Parts: sequence; structure tokens; C-alpha cells
Amino acid sequence: MSNPKADLLQGTLDMLILKALSLGPLHGYGIIQRIRRMSDEMLTVEQGALYPALYRIELKGWISGKWGENETGRKAKFYKLTRAGQKQLRLEEESWDRLVLVVTKMREAT
Amino acid sequence: MRGLNVLVARLRALLWRDKVLHDIDEELRAHLEMEVEANREMGMTLEEARLSAGKSFGNLGSIRDLAYEVKGGGFMETVWQDLRYSARMLFKHRGFTIIAVLTLSLGIGANTAIFSIVNAVLLRPFPYQSPEQLVIVGEGVSGGSVSYPNFVDWRDDRNVFESASAVRSNESYNFSGAGEPERLQGRLVSAGFLTLLGVKPLIGRDFLPEDNRPGAAPAVMLSYGFWSRNFGNDPNIIGKTITLNNQRYTVTAITPQDFEFGLPADVTIPIGLSAERFKARGADPGISVVARLKPNVSQQQTETELNVVYKRLEQQYPDTNTGRRGVLMPLHESFVGSVRQPLLILFGAVGLVLLIACANVANLLLVRASTRKREMSVRVALGANRWRIIRQLLTESLLLASIGGVLGVLLAHWGTSFIASQLPGSIPRLAEANVELRVLMFTLGVSVVTGLLFGLAPALQASRLNLTEALKEGDRGSVGRHKLRNVLVVCEVALTLTLLVGAGLLIQSFRRVLQVDPGFETQNLLTMQVSVNNTDGNQVASFFKQVQENVRSLPGVKSVAISNGLPLGGANHPIFFIQGRPLPEPGKAPSAIRYTVSPDYFQTMGIEVIKGRVFVSQDTPSTPPVVVIDEALAQHFPNEDPIGQRLSQSASGGPIYEIVGVVRHVEQYNLEGHAVRTPQFYLNFNQIPAERWPGLVRRINLLTRTDVEPTGLAAAVRGQIAALNKDQAVFNVRTMEQIVSESVAPRRFSMLLLAVFAVVALALAVIGIYGMLSYAVAQRTREIGLRMTLGAQRTDVMRLVIGHGMKLAVAGVVAGLIASFALTRTMRNLLFGVSATDPITFASITLLLAVVALLACWLPARRATKVDPMVALRYE
Repeated sequence: MSNPKADLLQGTLDMLILKALSLGPLHGYGIIQRIRRMSDEMLTVEQGALYPALYRIELKGWISGKWGENETGRKAKFYKLTRAGQKQLRLEEESWDRLVLVVTKMREAT
Repeated sequence: MRGLNVLVARLRALLWRDKVLHDIDEELRAHLEMEVEANREMGMTLEEARLSAGKSFGNLGSIRDLAYEVKGGGFMETVWQDLRYSARMLFKHRGFTIIAVLTLSLGIGANTAIFSIVNAVLLRPFPYQSPEQLVIVGEGVSGGSVSYPNFVDWRDDRNVFESASAVRSNESYNFSGAGEPERLQGRLVSAGFLTLLGVKPLIGRDFLPEDNRPGAAPAVMLSYGFWSRNFGNDPNIIGKTITLNNQRYTVTAITPQDFEFGLPADVTIPIGLSAERFKARGADPGISVVARLKPNVSQQQTETELNVVYKRLEQQYPDTNTGRRGVLMPLHESFVGSVRQPLLILFGAVGLVLLIACANVANLLLVRASTRKREMSVRVALGANRWRIIRQLLTESLLLASIGGVLGVLLAHWGTSFIASQLPGSIPRLAEANVELRVLMFTLGVSVVTGLLFGLAPALQASRLNLTEALKEGDRGSVGRHKLRNVLVVCEVALTLTLLVGAGLLIQSFRRVLQVDPGFETQNLLTMQVSVNNTDGNQVASFFKQVQENVRSLPGVKSVAISNGLPLGGANHPIFFIQGRPLPEPGKAPSAIRYTVSPDYFQTMGIEVIKGRVFVSQDTPSTPPVVVIDEALAQHFPNEDPIGQRLSQSASGGPIYEIVGVVRHVEQYNLEGHAVRTPQFYLNFNQIPAERWPGLVRRINLLTRTDVEPTGLAAAVRGQIAALNKDQAVFNVRTMEQIVSESVAPRRFSMLLLAVFAVVALALAVIGIYGMLSYAVAQRTREIGLRMTLGAQRTDVMRLVIGHGMKLAVAGVVAGLIASFALTRTMRNLLFGVSATDPITFASITLLLAVVALLACWLPARRATKVDPMVALRYE
């Protein structure tokens, strides 16, 4: 848990999930598909990583899950971004942007 | 918020484990099926689609476990697992468990009992509206009683207070209902008494100003208890009349069931009806005033305001009011101020007992930890980390403490009512003491803290083991563990010594109090109170004359007397003037306790006559009035003979009494007022014209000096009274020894309780020393065997073991002496005739503890000498 590398990845995954859900409520399978599409098929989230992350975020109160039916009538759990989640997403995006900016500046420096 | 979510999730996972797991399974399955569908849409066969989905999903089982853990599963299961394991371990080691639980339940139970008393008496707010705004007003420096005319004047003068009501408790009334005449406790109050406190009558109304006018139709409020006892909770009693002291009172209200104010009272009556009785401005009539401060005005400001009025009264009535000032005291302080310190000291003492109990259990745990070393090593070898082991051991400690706590609450439930029943009635609100929610919270807190206290150090030690060494070494103790155990024993001895010294000082004080000479003979003296409700003075006087004669003729009776006051009770306290001396400055006149007695009083009480004579039958209303004074009043005549001097009770007018005799001083308020002797003088009942008797006294004490055990004569004496008047109420039948015993009851109580705590502490400390040394001897069997093989004698071995124990005992005694010197100071004003650092007490307690410690060392030492060197060396 205290591995910094894992933290970085986990933080990023959290942001990706929040971002995916900001477009509307979705079930786990859909989240993976949506992240893949949004990243132009460049990012594939492992199922094994997705569900623990989802539950963790749910405990933090950023998303809330509810059983529902998908477009083909199958029972599935749909996750929805909460207000706290929206705020968290904004925060994470800002800090991500800042990081990118800093790294870019560093790289462009001669 | 987050922490709460996690906790809720953990609980959910514990309670609805299957549902949580099922949820996860459902969700993962839905995922898989969607993937299969998607694969099929891409043209795979069903089989291919399933295979591919399964492959891309990875290890389903481990994902499920991981997800479950995130969802809060596991944590509670570990707790549950630990608990079950602990319960098994405690059950397996029943001997240890029983000793530990008993020790803890005693400690926790005693703490809970004392706390429930502290809670009821000191912490619980009074059941009045905004009780913090309520004050008690007194006159004089120490907050004495208020003279009624002064109260009426300042109440009407300006609005110093929001409202104020005079209160006089300890009145008594004869109630003649259907059955035998009953004596009731009464209370006089002025109008608006309940309203002032913010208490609503159960039914009826509070007294109005018109009820409180002199000459108003008599009204009465009944207590709930009296109402349900005598009137079966009949609500129609309101507006009806009851007869008290042959007078009819109209019932205006029933007070609520839980209502109380100071001394208990069955009936509450307007004080204004007795205004005539309290009209003397200079008197000290036992009236206190309860008042509500105005909102946002401090007690200080109010007192200043009030004394503006008092200064004016001083100018207006210099004779009586010179130097009189109003003093305010918060209601809470006034009611419980005097019991706070003894209660807190007991609370502290019982806390020390619990600490000692903790030390003992910690010691037991340390012993057990060394026998469980292998178990711990195996667990570490199997992959448990240090935190995991500490957690397990702490769970065990907390479980122990919880069992102790539950038993402790049971003990406390029983103990509280026992203590409350043993306590004298003088402690306010004690009847309310019970094990209520706040007390349970306290016990819960104490149990948890206790569990951590005795469990933490052993757990930390046990977890700090070197794996290979422990597996190899077996059962030989390590040095660090011994150090901790030694420290625990030293602490125990120190705490015990402190408790013993405190108890010893109280016992010494109690002895000194009992040794005080009260100035009269307490054995073989029967007392009882007879009320005076007949308004015909001649009948009253002849009734009492006849009663005395008849009782005197009973076999076993030596002499009989009547009086209007008794030592160790309340007293009248008027001022007096010595004739032929310049008038003292206004308000500076000396005062003395006044008794009115029959001629045989001195002989009956056994009060020694020092000089002159006491009353004789020739003294009558028509002969010159005479007075007998005590030796303290005689000191007002330093260079002259007091006999033949004259006293009066008012600066001008009234009878002038000639002093005919001087008698021994008697202790009036309690046996502890020895340092301050209030002068006393005696008037003769026979010189008071009969028609004045009913106005003078409301109860007369009948005293009977006997040759035999006085309680045996009580029925015969009562029979004589009943033979003369079957409706005559007689109450408070007690021997003088009982009165003395009651007067020292609060002191006896705190002494006994502290002594019990100290003895429990001593027992625990002995067990602690004994257990520690026995264990050490067992550990050192090999070493002792070796020494003996090398030529050590039995005495050397004895010295070795006893030396070890006594070193700790001495260290504990030194630490305890230092702590005692610091702590006994706090109980200085509970002591009587003995200083807080009384060397005799300190020395004898030290000696006692040393002897007991030596005994505790001796048994293990003797066992050590029995070690057979050959067996010991072959051991292991």
C-alpha cells in the first residue's frame, strides 16, 4: 500500500474512472470500454484492477453504485458520480494539468 | 465521513458477509457475460467467447478476495477470530482467568460504585430550571441563617433578585389521619417557592402571596410520597383539608415525585403563617433563603446590590443589624460543598486500588507471557507480524477487562445500594445514586483503559521476541521482563502504602474523636422527643410534670428530666448582656447556647457541677429568675466570682437572671468542635409561667437515666406517655450512645470505606509480591541448585530470595512515603487531632507493610531452600 509507484498508478486510475463516469452512470464493463474509447484505444484497464478501485472510490463517497439493467436488459451495477466525486475529479485534473505543465517546462528548458 | 463509511462497510461485511460476497460475485459475473456478448458480436462462437472473456479477466478468485477486502471484509473477521481465540485461551487457563477477572471486577466494581455516588451527589445537575442561577442567601460571614424581618425588608425593598423565597426545613407536625397520629417532616416556604425553582406541581398550584400573609387561611402542599401513602394518589384531595397540629390546612398542591429540596419534607407550608414566631430581627432562626439571580447579573454584583440594602438596615436597626451582611453561595455549593472533598478522596483512593489491581493482572500476564513464548514464536514463524501479535494479546486483555467490567457493574449495582444504605442521611441526593447511563459509560471507559493499561506492556514485551533465540531457549526468562515485573511490584507497594497511610490517619482521627469528653455521661441514657401541640399551657405543663413523675416510678429508672435541646443536635443561640457592664457596641454582644431544662437535668445528664448550685424545686415562676452557666461563659468573669452576677437576654427590659451555679461545658454541635467552645447557659422550665410553654417550645426532650440497658425501658416509658394521652406523638426514641454514634457516622463511614480499600490494596500487594517471588524462584531453580552445590547454605539462599523481595518492598515503601507526604495534605481538613504527616501513623504503617512484605517473601524463600541441587542441575 505504501509503494509510491502503486500510489501513482492508483491515483491515475481513480481519475480515469471518475472521468469516465463524468459522462454518465455506467457499469464496470462499460467503464473499461469507455476508458478505451476515450483514450483512442490506447489504455486498457485490467478488470482485476478496476473492481477494487471502484469499491475503494465508492467507500470514499465519490461514486455510488446501484443495481440496474443495461441496454440488453441484463442486470448490472451502475455507478454514478456523486457531488464529492465531481469536486474530486476537478481537483485531480487540475493537479494533473499542473504536473504536465511542469514536466513539459522542464523538458523544454535548455 | 470516510472513517464512518469504512466502519459501516466493515460492520456490513461482518454481519452480512454472504450478501456482500454475493454482490461482488453478481457484479463480476455480469461483467463476464457482457464481455462474452461483445465477443460473440465480433463473431466468436459461444465457447471461444467464454474462453477469451475468462482469459482477459484474469484470476477471478483473487480479484474477488481483493474486492472483498476493499469492501471492508476481513477486518471484523480478524477481530472476531481474535476474540474467539482469546476466549479459548482464557477458558483453557481457567485459574489465571478467574484470578484476573475477580481482581478486575473488584477494582472496576468499587470504582463504579463510588463513581455512581459521585455522579448522583456532585455531577448530576439539580432538577430545577437553570440551577446555575440559583443561590442560597445567608447572613453573617459564614452564611448563617437569615432573620425573617430582614428577608421581608430586602425582598420588598428593591429587586435585587429575580425572585427569592425563605425556607425553613426540619419542622415537625402531628398528622392525625385515620390511624395512629403520625409525625411529619415539614418545611416552611414563602410564596412562589416552586415557581422560583422552575418546578411545576404535579397537580394544584404553588403558594400565592395571599397564602403567605399572616392570618391567611392555612394552606399546605403535600409531597408525592405522603400523598400516595395516605391518600392513595387521590387527585380530589386538592381543596380538601387535612389536620396538622390540631389545625386544618387546605391542600393546594402535590409536589412532583422526584422533587426534593434540602431535608425531606412531607408537607410544605407558607412561612408567613408563622411570621409571629420569627418576628425578632436579631434572631438566628434557621431560615435560609433560596433566590434566583437576575439574568446576566453576576453573583458578585448581586451580592454588592444586596449589601446596599443591608447597610441601610444597619442604620435603621443598629441594635440587631450592626455588622450583618448578606452572603451568597451557589445552590450546588451550598448543598454538596461539604461532602465534595471526602467523596473525591474516596474516589481517588478507589482509583489507586484499581491501579494496584492492574499492576497485579499485568504481573500475571507477564508470567503467562513467558510460558506462552513458544506459542508466540510459532505464530511469528508462521508469518504473523508484530502488530498482529500485539493486537491478539490486547484483544485478550480487553476481553478480560470487559468480563471484569460486566461483573463489576453487577457488584456496583449491589454495592451502591449497600453504601447508600450505610451512609448517614446527611449526604444530599444520595438516594438517587444508581447505576445509570453515565455510570455505565464511565465503567466502559474504565474497563477499556484498564485493559490497555495492564495489557499493553506485557503485549509489547511478548511481541519483541527474537525468533531463533526463543525457539531455542525454551522457558528461561529474559532480563527485561524481570525489570518490568520489579517495577510493577515497587509501584504496587508504593500505592498500597499511600492508601494505608490515608486510612491510618482517618482511623487515628476517629479514635481521637471518640476520646473527646462530651461533658456528660453517654451510657444508660434514653432520650425521646414529645411534641407540644396543645395550646393550653397549663395542660402542657401538668402533662409533662405527670409524665416525669410516672416515668421516675418505673423500675430501673434513676432520674428523669425534660429539656428543649440536646447536645449533638441543633441549638438556640441568643445574645446575652451582663448587668452592670457598659452596653456592648451594637451587634457586638456575646452570644451563647441556651437550654431550658427541668431541675433534674444536670443529674440525669451527668453534667458535673463546678461551683454553686443547680436548679431546685424551690425555684418557681414567682421567685427571682436564676440561671446556670457553663465554664466557658464563666470566663466572661475573669477576675470575679460569677455566682451572684446577673444576665439578661435583651439590652433593655425582660427578666434579669441571677447566676447561681457553674457546670461543665458540653459539646453541642458535634464532638469535633473542641477548639471553639461556645458558651452555654441554662434556664429553668419551672420558672417559666405555664401559659408561655406552648409558644416557647414545639418539642420537648424527655431524658431517662437508667440503671439498666436503656433500650429495654423504651416501651415502658412510651407506655406511660400513652397512658396519659393516647394521641400524643412520640418520636426519635434513641439512646444517648446512639446519638453520639450518629453524630460521628459520616466520619465512621469514610474511615471504614477507606480502610476497606486499603486492606484490599494490601491483599493485592501481598499477592503481587508473593507471585513475583515464587515465579522468580521457579525461574532460578538451576542457579539456586548450582549455588548449593558450590557450598551455599540454606540461610544464604533464604537471604538471596528475601533480599530480592525486600529490596523491591523497600523501594516501594520509600516511593510510597514520598507520595503519602504529598497526598495526605489534601485530606488535612478531614483529620481530627492528628497531623497529615503524623509520624506515628507513618511509622506504624511502614512497619506493618514491611512485616507483611517479609511474610510474602518468606514462603517462596523457604521453597527455594528445599531445592535439591542434584534435581535442579539435571533439570531441563
